[in-house]
Amino acid sequence: MTATQMPPAVRPSGAAAAKKAAGRRREGAAWVFLSPWVLGACVLTLLPMAVSLYLSFTDYDLFNPPNWVGLRNYTQMFTEDPRYWRSVVTTLTYVVIAVPLQLGLALVVALALKNMRRGRGFYRSAFYAPSLLGASMSIALVWRAVFNDGGTVDNLLGTGGWVNRPGWSLLAVALLTVWQFGAPMVIFLAGLQQIPGELYEAAEVDGAGKWRQFLSITVPMLSPVIFFNVVLQTIQAFQVFTPAFAVSAGKGGPADSTLVYTLYLYDRAFVASHMGYASAMAWVLLVVIGAVTAVLFRTSRSWVFYASEGER
Amino acid sequence: MAAVLALCVVLSGCSGEETGGGKVVLQYTWWGNPDRAARTEEAVALFEERHPGVEVQTSFAGYEAYKQKLATQAAGGDAPDVMQLDYRMIDQYASGGVLLDLRGEVRTEDIERGLLATGVVDGKQYAIPQGRGTETVVYDTKAWERSGVPLPREGWTWDQWADAMRELREKTGRPGGTDPGQSEDAFEVWLRGQGKELYTDDRRLGFDADDLAEWWTFTDRLRREGAVSPAEQTTQLDGAVENTPLGRGTAISDFNWDAPSSGYLALVEGGVTLAPMPSAGDGTPGQYFKPSMFMGVGASTPHAKRAAQLVDFLVNDPDAAKILGATRGIPVNETIREDIAPELKDFDKTIADFQASLDGTLNAPPKAPPSGDSALQTTFQRDYDQVSYERMSPREAAENYITEAKAELRS
Repeated sequence: MTATQMPPAVRPSGAAAAKKAAGRRREGAAWVFLSPWVLGACVLTLLPMAVSLYLSFTDYDLFNPPNWVGLRNYTQMFTEDPRYWRSVVTTLTYVVIAVPLQLGLALVVALALKNMRRGRGFYRSAFYAPSLLGASMSIALVWRAVFNDGGTVDNLLGTGGWVNRPGWSLLAVALLTVWQFGAPMVIFLAGLQQIPGELYEAAEVDGAGKWRQFLSITVPMLSPVIFFNVVLQTIQAFQVFTPAFAVSAGKGGPADSTLVYTLYLYDRAFVASHMGYASAMAWVLLVVIGAVTAVLFRTSRSWVFYASEGER
Repeated sequence: MAAVLALCVVLSGCSGEETGGGKVVLQYTWWGNPDRAARTEEAVALFEERHPGVEVQTSFAGYEAYKQKLATQAAGGDAPDVMQLDYRMIDQYASGGVLLDLRGEVRTEDIERGLLATGVVDGKQYAIPQGRGTETVVYDTKAWERSGVPLPREGWTWDQWADAMRELREKTGRPGGTDPGQSEDAFEVWLRGQGKELYTDDRRLGFDADDLAEWWTFTDRLRREGAVSPAEQTTQLDGAVENTPLGRGTAISDFNWDAPSSGYLALVEGGVTLAPMPSAGDGTPGQYFKPSMFMGVGASTPHAKRAAQLVDFLVNDPDAAKILGATRGIPVNETIREDIAPELKDFDKTIADFQASLDGTLNAPPKAPPSGDSALQTTFQRDYDQVSYERMSPREAAENYITEAKAELRS
């Protein structure tokens, strides 16, 4: 996570002094070449982050200069805001629904494509297309229409519009994400193609069926890729915004059922003008995502198999 | 090029006030629809004709987009010279130092006293009301008449309204109207009927959980009986007439402001009629004439005099008023209101007649709501969603709202 500057692994000695000076010159050149990126990262990422950390301890409302309020935003969030906790529960529910569904679908399609001899390029592109389209606002709006009263889903299933039912609306949002399974699918596909064919041949000779091969060869060999996808998609799912915003017409309704964390954060910041409170929410989210990722890494030791480690 | 420069020098020489060459450029922003834009452009052109040294650059957007853009501009110290403001923005913008005190800069003698006072914060006239509007029970004329249910009349009470909703349901099979539980505006009318206000003068909450629980119990019961719209429809309300039960033809009536009710004409075949809001049991009216929008001048404008002249022109000039009609509500300038009344056409006239029927019967409007009100309006809707989807009792939701409102108003 932290990118520290590593000094060259040479001990300073009398003879190495000239070498060290040359190294420093080279380092200077490196910084010159890096400067556009470093400048961008500092001005556009680190500085705003530092400001937002400061604002999270203030009552900044866009109109008046910020006043220091200590931990009040944080205590209000945890003790006085029932809607905050509802948004936390909604987000967790969303992560638990969307991530497994999306990765499961991506894996199934990748497996189907792996054994395909003809037209793989076409299908790969076709399944990837929603990931390019789905992020756009227009598709999200179409999604809302499809799941609204009198929309396609209502007409086909006769369930009424999902977006107006608190029990169903979050599923409509999750499905919009699940539908965009292209990126993890491509990564799975690449991972599958890395698995040596001999393993399957050997298993076949030993009389293992398809299911057995999947469990004993594909899953362990693919586990680093699965892990990578789980981490990536979980982090993204915690930050879901556009689908929830568009499908609920910006309100997180009905009855707060699609008011995910970032949507409530947006609401606090730009509808209620509580920039300080929203900054505090953003920092809590950052810490929680960091913690969840750390937990995932911890558990990975027991189920992720790296081929290179096996040789040690 | 030289000719243009020379012209500029001549022009600025004439008007005297400007320093340096070139015209004075005023930024004027508002929210609204293309019709309002066309009429505003015409009025602005007339202003430019009368003040040759001034160029007015206008821009407009939809309300939500406008609100966010203006807030960001103001935060960056870049507020426009002249801006249109909503009642809910005044307190925030005034206390944030964004607005200029207009007392003495704009003629206000002809403006209705009570309405003028709504633009005052901490004793300073930060904003000038442009038009006035009031709430109405707007109904499908044909459908209601055909049902045989007695029509709404002046001075009807909330109980009579509720009975009408039930009867309409019985006779037509459709809910009588929109569930008013989600609307902070409707609640305010009901609350004022009880002699209370949404906010006290020192910007605290003017009611408690008991009041709100009583209101929500009242509306929730009607919803359960089917007399008002079901939760699935109520939750879709977003301010657009197209998304109201009346606009969709699934209910007979709706609560709305008078000017935007013109939107129903295109949607309701049987035509619409404006009826007054229900009063309390003892006849106390809760509805009031509200400034539909304001004009304010940015505190950082280098052309304060000119900006104030533009405000004055749009509010007080008879020719401007003729062009603008009722696009921003019925004019607040009483002389002008009388002058243009005979010239109003179509729905503008319907609104004018409706307001005339109420003139003199209503109590004074409340002061500009505190900054937090804008956010609380949404909170109000969200908390009622919990009631209408039966996830919370009216009492629980009301207590939640009070907690949230107190936190909101404290900050």
